[in-house]
Amino acid sequence: MVTGRGSDASGDDAWGGTLVEPALARPDFTLTDTDGRPYDFGAETAGRLTLLFFGYTHCPDVCPVHMATLSAALDTPGMPDPTVVFVTTDPTRDDPARLREWLDQFDASFVGLTGTAEQIAAAEDAARVGRSAPIPTEDGADAGDGTDYQVGHAAQIVAYTPDDQAHLVYPFGVRRQDWVNDLPRLLDQWDEPA
Amino acid sequence: MTWWCAASNEPWDWSPRAYPGIWLFMVLLLVGYLWVCRERPDRRKRWFFLGGWALLWASTDWPLGTLGSGYLASAHMAQYLLYTMAAAPLLMLSLPEAPLRRGLSRLRAYRLVRLAARPLVAGVIFNIVLLVTHAPVTVDTMRTNQAGSFLLDLAWLASGLLLWLPVCGPLDELKPSYPARCVYLFLAAGLVPMVPGGFLTFAPTPLYSVYELAPRVGGFDALDDQQAAGVIMKVGNLPLLWPVLGGLFLRWAAEDRAATPPVQVKTADKT
Repeated sequence: MVTGRGSDASGDDAWGGTLVEPALARPDFTLTDTDGRPYDFGAETAGRLTLLFFGYTHCPDVCPVHMATLSAALDTPGMPDPTVVFVTTDPTRDDPARLREWLDQFDASFVGLTGTAEQIAAAEDAARVGRSAPIPTEDGADAGDGTDYQVGHAAQIVAYTPDDQAHLVYPFGVRRQDWVNDLPRLLDQWDEPA
Repeated sequence: MTWWCAASNEPWDWSPRAYPGIWLFMVLLLVGYLWVCRERPDRRKRWFFLGGWALLWASTDWPLGTLGSGYLASAHMAQYLLYTMAAAPLLMLSLPEAPLRRGLSRLRAYRLVRLAARPLVAGVIFNIVLLVTHAPVTVDTMRTNQAGSFLLDLAWLASGLLLWLPVCGPLDELKPSYPARCVYLFLAAGLVPMVPGGFLTFAPTPLYSVYELAPRVGGFDALDDQQAAGVIMKVGNLPLLWPVLGGLFLRWAAEDRAATPPVQVKTADKT
């Protein structure tokens, strides 16, 4: 359950993200990375600070801003080096090459994952974020090649700490300074594997 | 219907957007000016007005107004500069003296204007408006709604007019001496704005959420954009300010020369 922004359990300084109680377990799902290899999320990221986000490269607002804000924060000296995993919610348009190219704009180390619509829906369920769905553009215009649509998707980045739990999520609107404040604290507070 | 430019979170594109509120405001301003000047039209003042009016419109409407209200801090700062350093002095130069005196007398506002036109008062008010309207909390609150955005633009215009009132206003008795005007302009419009400009330039993270979380324009990073805004605030006014200061100085020199009696040169009688 999301409990809202504010102080942590001990009542100390406020977090930039939103506390989740009870914490979410690190999910297990396997998708395909941008090199075409299977990527077992649970195994690959176990015990590591991991930021998981579901979005798509044609997203006009939330995804590029979220990714740009996060990557700028990670460039700040002294920041930890989390694994950032971006799962496309638009596998039709986001082929591995496009996904890689788009992520490289922000950070070449960001992991891009894709799969079938069913696999992605299963990953969303496992991560306990809302399921994504295509939505027609506002004016209803169709480019004729089936590409003129947007995708409704969860707008939060889920932060898994080394104890393999997600204690906080970061909805759209989180700022660079929030990340800079929170990322080191996430590691300090939940640094022990479960 | 979007009446005035405000942050919308829509992705930026170069398709023109319509803001009927801005058009109405500009038409009312034009009609009002022509009506006030109907008795004794002054060609030169009309040109000043037209220049100021056009600059005001260009900095308020799409695309600069749209970019400045919801996408780029640098565009916001360019808007501010155009309002206060270009449109305001031209509009101030365009004001006709006689109707202004009549209007102030009718509104019993002359004493208030005389007080506000004192360089110390005008300079302090101008810089308070600058600081308040560029504080992150103000920008993030006001720019996200049309009424707030309108008020912000209005505050800029009013503070710009106030800044220039003692320099080039139509009421000569409110203008201090030329050297005093030079010092006033240098401090109020040149030196003080460098302080908040420096904060923007050297801040390690974006200060305005409205610009940080806006859809990006041409891949321009939010911090780079803010640094550009800081530089614009620090030095963007110099191309206008220094020529004006130079002009005031030259007038002072000319006035001084005219006031000094010519030196009588006596030739010694040869014996």
